[in-house]
Amino acid sequence: MAISDAELRDLVAGTLDPERVREVQSEPKDSDRKRRVLEVVQEQVPWDEPVVLCLQENLYVVQGDGQKTVRCGCGHEFGDYRVNWKEGALVYERDPQDGEIYPRPNAPTAEWMVLREFYCPGCGTLLDTEGVPPGYPFIFNFLPYFEDEETPGA
Amino acid sequence: MTNETLERPLENATEAQTESPTLKERLARRNKAIEEKGVYVDDTPLKDADPIKFEVFYTKLSQSVNNARELARQVAASPEMREMGESVLGLYTPEGDAICLSPGLMVHVRTMSRAIKWMIENDYERDVGFNPGDIFFNNDPYIGGGHAPDQLVMIPLFHGDELIGWAGGMSHVSEVGAVEPGGMGISMKTRFHEGLYLPCMKIGSNDEFHRDYEILVDRSVRASVWWLLDTRAKMAGVKLLRDAVGGLIEEYGLDYYRGVSEEYIEDTRRATVEKVRSVLHPGRYRDVGWRGVDEPDLRVLLHGPAEIEIGRDGNIFLNADGVSSAGRHPVQATLPLFEGVLFNSLIQHVFYDTRYNDGTALALDYFVPQGSACNPPDIYHATALWGPAFAGGVAANQSISRAYYANGYLEEVHACNAQVNALIAGGTDLFGRPFAGWNMEMCASGAHATAFMDGNDTALAEFNAEGDCGDAEVWETALPMTYLGRTIRTDGGGFGRHRGGSGLLSIYMTPEVKNLEVGSFGGAPIFTAPGLMGGYPAPLCTVYVVRDTDLKERIDRRDPIPNREGNPETPDWTTLIDGKVEVVKGGNYIARPIKPYCIYTQPGGDGSGYGDVLKRNPELVARDVANGVNSPRTAEQVYGVVLDDSGEVDTPATAERRKELRRQRMERAVPAQEYKKKARQHVIDGTLPQVAKDLYADLLANSGKFRQEFLEFWSLPDEFEIAQE
Repeated sequence: MAISDAELRDLVAGTLDPERVREVQSEPKDSDRKRRVLEVVQEQVPWDEPVVLCLQENLYVVQGDGQKTVRCGCGHEFGDYRVNWKEGALVYERDPQDGEIYPRPNAPTAEWMVLREFYCPGCGTLLDTEGVPPGYPFIFNFLPYFEDEETPGA
Repeated sequence: MTNETLERPLENATEAQTESPTLKERLARRNKAIEEKGVYVDDTPLKDADPIKFEVFYTKLSQSVNNARELARQVAASPEMREMGESVLGLYTPEGDAICLSPGLMVHVRTMSRAIKWMIENDYERDVGFNPGDIFFNNDPYIGGGHAPDQLVMIPLFHGDELIGWAGGMSHVSEVGAVEPGGMGISMKTRFHEGLYLPCMKIGSNDEFHRDYEILVDRSVRASVWWLLDTRAKMAGVKLLRDAVGGLIEEYGLDYYRGVSEEYIEDTRRATVEKVRSVLHPGRYRDVGWRGVDEPDLRVLLHGPAEIEIGRDGNIFLNADGVSSAGRHPVQATLPLFEGVLFNSLIQHVFYDTRYNDGTALALDYFVPQGSACNPPDIYHATALWGPAFAGGVAANQSISRAYYANGYLEEVHACNAQVNALIAGGTDLFGRPFAGWNMEMCASGAHATAFMDGNDTALAEFNAEGDCGDAEVWETALPMTYLGRTIRTDGGGFGRHRGGSGLLSIYMTPEVKNLEVGSFGGAPIFTAPGLMGGYPAPLCTVYVVRDTDLKERIDRRDPIPNREGNPETPDWTTLIDGKVEVVKGGNYIARPIKPYCIYTQPGGDGSGYGDVLKRNPELVARDVANGVNSPRTAEQVYGVVLDDSGEVDTPATAERRKELRRQRMERAVPAQEYKKKARQHVIDGTLPQVAKDLYADLLANSGKFRQEFLEFWSLPDEFEIAQE
């Protein structure tokens, strides 16, 4: 049975019953899923400009006047989608041994790795974490290709 | 329609008609045709003519390989093959292309293909001979496989005098006569530390094993029963498969068998392209996984990047440019293994509903730099622990999840699994018999968190999704460590809106046996399982060794002994008993002698988290604390969930606590550009930890791509080099 609109809302919210998710996983993929999810998201975001892509949890690519930008669910604007949104985030570099997140015996030491936390400057949502050695460049996780845009770098 | 009537990629039809080409010639033509056309065969006339028959026949092939695998499992000696299902069996074309494989170790979809092709390309047909009843064996990972414990048995299939294909079986055998017991150890610096290698050797004729082969194995490894009997198990499986193929050919005809075999591969290639095109959003995806070696004389951080380009046409290109260079340590992989890990990731997460064969490989393209730790410059580099190949697989998984997410298929989105870790042990058992191996109960690691639920606890290992921890009693028989406890690790799974699954944690007491040595291959104290979309990475697989204990006295007095973890900051085995405690963060612990009545604890690995922790349902946090999966500290400090004395969520206090944690985030974080300015100075001054400086020095020297991106990101001049003391 194809996923209903109500179930899709729950799936987007991360609250759909896992047993039902398992059924959905076993079914052929519905080809208009992207459009349907974007409709659900559009109902929820506090702006009118069209969301054209769900970049990840809490981050969307929004079609503005001639430009696609990355926006947090709270409305904070990160800028052009071709630029890593992390460049406009708040960053906290955590010593994994600080005892706040990991039990110390099970945490890496800062002489091997730090834990970077990227927050939305608008709402403080934790958008990404990077466990990396000090000095490692930010990871640009996803550069989407759009039908109506030239492929960046092509 | 027969095979001969199809348009086959033969470059010289006249030659093909006048004299049967050798397998080597056929393989060369096949490779050339694939390279030129990008397809396995041009058309699929048998499928087109009767698609139902086409599917029914494949189902019969699939049932045959599954039956063969199950038979092999029943015959096997080792717990990993019998209980964890550490095996895969398959059917191959005469040139060595996989037609149909059983479930199991999907890492090896391609490795047996490579071994068969290697024999063909190295003139085995002429010099060694392919005859009915021959048995070939390989555990050389540079030919096919992952490391010495990955052992392949291959037999040619004949119809009359004609070689019409191959049946193969692979399993992991965890004692190979290496410098450490168990076949996988952190002290293995070169191939010559890794035990007995038999590179594509004929080990039997007329369906009987050569006596000299069995003597060689028996005298070269610590406990030969697993190697010898598991080889017989695979032989039993491939013989059953041979009989099944014979029956199918009798029923359907040889021409049909040959024709559909090729069409199945092409059909899979097409299905692979279509699946990518229909479910994964086009784009460029980047993620990174890490591995490392942490020994007193060798500390190396290994970079496992994956850049995946998903084209609008459904093609995937994986670029591993920037993998760390190969070195004198075991945390690296052969190219066949890298390939296998990539397929393992993609088959489990994208192509699970296509056929398991080499068609998938034809649809994928990748680049792995020569000389890197995923494509070493020569066969003498150790490969026991795979290293950045698996890190790259982790990164590929993350990227695939992002590609699903963008298309709205949230039911497929998941974080990843940690590096697994396991006990290795050797010695003389209670009955005076030698034993050696490693405990594969880390097949019950914690699963990744998903976009819709927490990762299951003690659920799987990425490389063996259907395995489990096995029976403790069986493991005590195989590797006679005494279990004091088996538990779900506290605060194991990476934290997040959905948390990663917590893995199995075992607490062993060393028994009264002779010559006991224990260790774990483990990893460096680094993050190996990145969180996804705001989730936290999984923690370290830290090992504890407690020597000189009072365990015997406590047992004699019937005093309590540790059988659970308790507080992960101060586990019970560090507080409840007397003893000398060694904490091995990450678990790189070379096997070494140990006396009876010591404690050795082993976590298997955990899944990473998904989404922001402050968006987690507080009721789930309360549940996890009640079940001991999370500590009260984690509830309040990480999730901002305040529980009352009865363990119920205090909703107003929780709202206040979460508000406070959000405020704390905003206060102490800095804008990215400010962060970069400060961090850049450390890069310029070389005031970085030594492992980081060594890493960057290697990558800047050996990867033009990494160099360009590193210099651009930090706004550094072209001539920049990392300052070394």
